[in-house]
Amino acid sequence: MGKIVIILSILSLFVCANTETKIDKTIDETCLSCHRQQQIPNGLIYRRYLMQYSTDIRMEEAIFKYLKNPSKETSIMPPQFFLKFPIKDTLELDELKLHNSIKKYLKRFDIKEHLILGK
Amino acid sequence: MLSSEKRSLVRFLVIYLASTLLLFSLASWIFYSSAKHHLLDQQRETIKYEAELIKSKLRVLHQSNSFPLIYPHHSMIDSAIYDLDKKYIFGTYRSELLFNDFSDKAHLYHLTKVEPYYLGAVYLVTSRTINFEPITKLQKNILIFMLAAGIIFLLLGYFLGRLFVAPMRDSITRMNHFIQDTTHELNTPISTILTNIEMIETFGKHEENKAELKRIEIASKTLSRIYDDLTYLNLNHQYHRQIVTLNISELVEERMVYFTGMIEAKKLNIIVEVEENIMLDMDKNDAIRLIDNLLSNAIKYNKHQGTIEVMLSKTYFSVKDTGMGIESKDLDSILHRFKRANKSEGGFGIGLDIVNQVIQSYDYRLKIMSKVNEGTEVRILWEK
Repeated sequence: MGKIVIILSILSLFVCANTETKIDKTIDETCLSCHRQQQIPNGLIYRRYLMQYSTDIRMEEAIFKYLKNPSKETSIMPPQFFLKFPIKDTLELDELKLHNSIKKYLKRFDIKEHLILGK
Repeated sequence: MLSSEKRSLVRFLVIYLASTLLLFSLASWIFYSSAKHHLLDQQRETIKYEAELIKSKLRVLHQSNSFPLIYPHHSMIDSAIYDLDKKYIFGTYRSELLFNDFSDKAHLYHLTKVEPYYLGAVYLVTSRTINFEPITKLQKNILIFMLAAGIIFLLLGYFLGRLFVAPMRDSITRMNHFIQDTTHELNTPISTILTNIEMIETFGKHEENKAELKRIEIASKTLSRIYDDLTYLNLNHQYHRQIVTLNISELVEERMVYFTGMIEAKKLNIIVEVEENIMLDMDKNDAIRLIDNLLSNAIKYNKHQGTIEVMLSKTYFSVKDTGMGIESKDLDSILHRFKRANKSEGGFGIGLDIVNQVIQSYDYRLKIMSKVNEGTEVRILWEK
């Protein structure tokens, strides 16, 4: 019985890790590869969303809204930004994957995680 | 110091000090509240200032690319940042629930908004422990001030009081001197008159002028009693009492005889119910003064051909007349010196004052029952 539990636990961990890896792969392939190629400043975008929306949920909604309908109006970036970086195409990802990818993106660039108390 | 003067001075001081204390307490409370508010405001300014510093540092951290991001903090001031949903982001507080708990009386809190939301922070809460040292110092200073003011006003009140009662003291002193002089001057002629009446009665030379002589005797005895009362009042404080076991029953009957002339002159009907051999430990002069004053009042204020009931038992001595009575509003003050409920008759209004003083000396109890136009009963209860 104990062995079965251990095996199931290892399997579930494996499945989860696999899912995480898949999401990481999705975000890398569908989002960040382009960002890297075009040298789009991810940290700057994150900070801009953070400064505007404060919470992860609100940021996620705003990013989702933009990705579903990318335009200068729905973007948080200033008009000058688009002189250098073109408006991206609409993503073909399904909504769930898109939400998960945004969450992953927000987590990856979360600067609050780096806050520490000075001595 | 005279007792009435002392009483007036004490009353004045109590009213004066109570009103001054009330006024000072009110003023001190207003000052204390204002000063305390000011002291707390000074401390509150430090956390407001710190909040502004933190806000500017949050802006720097938000733009910084060098990790870790070191959150600014002050050794005496705690702070925390919260997002738009009032969810804790980071801070020096141990408790994340502090945002909704500003009721702690030992701390000062300051809540400010961060705009734009650097690091996602919308609310910034700063707080510090209240430094009670200046407040305690303020309380001590006010207490010392109140104490010093109290002493100064007590002394001032005492001198003011003495100043205000001075005219009353002078009047009383003048009146006492007058009574003293009058009694001294009355003593010799009264004694002479009474001695001579006794001599005439003894040697039987009064048959043709019997009625006139009786009137002289009554008038002289009245004068003599007034003299005794005034002397008693004058020497009250120095009066030496000689307590002996007295047969009050015999004494009452003896004094009744003394007043026979006055009773007959007014044609009063006397009802006497005196139990025999009622013994009391008293000074004889006090007992005479007590009985004489009650009998004298009952005779003096009785109507012509009225009735006097004299009752003596183991529990009380009572004299009841059928005079004009005393109004209920005057019953409380009738015992005061120089108070006369009815001014139609002569007298100084000192009789019941003397009775009251004697009663107080022996811890007896006095009861006055009176109905206007029906009469008055004065009862002395021996029980203590």
